[in-house]
Amino acid sequence: MKKKCVAMLLAGGQGSRLRALTAHVAKPAVPFGGKYRIIDFPLSNCVNSGIDTVGVLTQYQPLELNSYIGNGQPWDLDRSDGGVHILPPYIKEGDSGTWYKGTANAIYQNMSFIQRYDPDYVLILSGDHIYKMDYEKMLRYHRQTNADCTISVLEVPLEDASRFGMMNVNEKDEIYEFEEKPKNPKSNLASMGIYIFTWSKLRKYLMADEANPKSKNDFGHDVIPAMLTAGEKLVAYRFSGYWKDVGTIDSLWDANMDMLSYDNGIRLFDSEWPIYARTPTRPPHFMGEHASVSHSLVTGGCEVDGVVENSVLFHSVRVEAGAVVRYSILMPGTVVRAGARVEYTILAENAAIGVGARVGTPPPPQNESEDWGITVVAEGVRVGENAVVPAKAMVTRNVKGGGSK
Amino acid sequence: MNELHGIIFAYHCNPLLRELTQHRTTSSIPYGGRYRLIDFMLSNMVNAGISDVGLIVHANYQSLLDHVGSGKDWDLSRKHGGLRILPPFSYARKRREGGTYRGRMDALVGVFTYLERIRQDYVVLASGNMAANLPLNDIFEQHLATGADITAVCSARPHSDPRLANYFIMDPDGTVSDVVVRPSTPCGWESMEVYILSKQRLMDLTEHCAAHNAPSFSQDVLLSMVHRLKIVPYLFNGYVAAPSTVADYFARSMELLDPAVRAELFDPARPIKTKDRSDPSTYYGPNSRSNHSLISDGCIIEGEVENSILFRGVRVDKGARISGCILMQSTHICENAVLSHAITDKNVQVNSGRMLMGHKTYPLAIAKDAIV
Repeated sequence: MKKKCVAMLLAGGQGSRLRALTAHVAKPAVPFGGKYRIIDFPLSNCVNSGIDTVGVLTQYQPLELNSYIGNGQPWDLDRSDGGVHILPPYIKEGDSGTWYKGTANAIYQNMSFIQRYDPDYVLILSGDHIYKMDYEKMLRYHRQTNADCTISVLEVPLEDASRFGMMNVNEKDEIYEFEEKPKNPKSNLASMGIYIFTWSKLRKYLMADEANPKSKNDFGHDVIPAMLTAGEKLVAYRFSGYWKDVGTIDSLWDANMDMLSYDNGIRLFDSEWPIYARTPTRPPHFMGEHASVSHSLVTGGCEVDGVVENSVLFHSVRVEAGAVVRYSILMPGTVVRAGARVEYTILAENAAIGVGARVGTPPPPQNESEDWGITVVAEGVRVGENAVVPAKAMVTRNVKGGGSK
Repeated sequence: MNELHGIIFAYHCNPLLRELTQHRTTSSIPYGGRYRLIDFMLSNMVNAGISDVGLIVHANYQSLLDHVGSGKDWDLSRKHGGLRILPPFSYARKRREGGTYRGRMDALVGVFTYLERIRQDYVVLASGNMAANLPLNDIFEQHLATGADITAVCSARPHSDPRLANYFIMDPDGTVSDVVVRPSTPCGWESMEVYILSKQRLMDLTEHCAAHNAPSFSQDVLLSMVHRLKIVPYLFNGYVAAPSTVADYFARSMELLDPAVRAELFDPARPIKTKDRSDPSTYYGPNSRSNHSLISDGCIIEGEVENSILFRGVRVDKGARISGCILMQSTHICENAVLSHAITDKNVQVNSGRMLMGHKTYPLAIAKDAIV
């Protein structure tokens, strides 16, 4: 059946800057905020915006992501018409098949999927941002301005502009130039990686882009500049509110800490715009006799008997009596044994910290030290009794007790 | 296809549970922080691979319907079979208007056309008013091995008021020689009201009871046919809670603060499933304190909580103190309120500064949607 708008979610990124956290999962499947995975945010935004057809483009470590999305039931995307579809690269007749060469190529390879729904518009999303956004409003803006492409933008401080793709606009917010990570930014409007295209236009440019052997087949690098050169109408859609790229260890840790404050702009408790997730069945969490928990999130199946401050605990985490957890993110199934201390650390799923171990340290008083950073313990890693893991370490193998790594 | 079919009796409305059953059947009473009693038997069946479950209801079942929905949270929303809600078809017209089923055989007569269409050869009949994590597969295997006409699951731990329970007296050969229905003192093995029998046997018994206007499974089947049928018990050693009064509900709930009880009831090998609500994690404020408590997702806790059970979406504001309480879904305790040994039903709001004190022998129950 014809759909007004189909969403395509780019979830193939390796997330190499998250290193140990993405050894076994694609970045969009990284746990976030106690109950969620990163991809829950764009997926829930789609559903809450009335978009019921979503293609999820995967190619890196797809198993976890595929099984997480499953039939889409947690997001009400188990539909007989539309719904969520996993779209891996595949071999076409007459060629040997290729991986997705770039973001634009990923969409190009799935044009037949989009065509099945004969949409008027296509929404392009990425799977590595935390935000709540009504795409329906953005689509309305796209139609009102009669644009060929609408790019969602966020005002950022000029000194940060060199980290983003910047949109230079005229007085009507029409984009006349796109600059990737400019040294001398001309505007403060950063692209959020959210595009709405009029499908007939996008189709034309994707085919032209594919035919161009010099192209990197990337939206920001190739397709958007080509459209600008050709004089198509590209407009900026201004978004204000919480938006965070969680592509690095520091930003992932930061964004998790943001979830602790009620007025963070994401408002996880807001039932008007819920974020859905596939959650395993666990009994309520238990707070023991010695538990002391403050300014923290705790999830089902946890057993907490130690001190937890300013931290995010996912489901089925155990913090034993005498253990201390501060400013840390404990992903599902992690264990912190008695007397251990975990500070400024991300423990990936099922990591176990032995009795009396010390993992991570608070930042030094003059927070300029290059040597300090968030400590990461990778999935399933065991840190032995009384072991010491220093700040900024990225532990991917078991650590023996007693010594330091 | 699994050979077992599940039938759950969910029509009881126990008046001794007062406020808790004012708006719902006993089987949809909230229990254990995020569950309803019905979740346990539904999960037991699903965990045993049962794909078809009939839920017998009679009145006051809106809350239960809301909760089970299409059955998808238990994977029971299927193209063939799955969950079937069985209200009293033409029963009310044939018999008297209103009232309720006079007993389980009466209920089965009421859904006889459903029984005829059961695809499986064996049926498990079970009460939906009980929290227990039962290995139904093991029980079924024993049923096949002993060649029993009826396998009756019994509890090794007395859990009910004897005046509401049935007991089995055993022969030396291990079959049931006598049935004691609702005595004043316990004698023999206490029945958990979970039975396995063949579909054919169930049909025969239902037809027999319909013809003889015999409404009670305990009296008219177990007791009157104890010498004609081979009834073999299955002894279950795990935790069982079947709350019969408000005080009993309170005591059974508080037992969940014992890790050994939770380990039995929430055995990860046989998880108890419930309706998914998409709550975020629970937030604990900077000056909150929570000890020896079972707390569900979606709560915001800024006050003090001890020895309590909090359901999903509960808010405890600053300065509020909660001790020995059961706060059901979306309860809101405002600033500086003090509650001790109280049970607040769904959506109760206790305004600032209020003090509510019950006792464990007579917990104060506050009905759904009340504002104190």
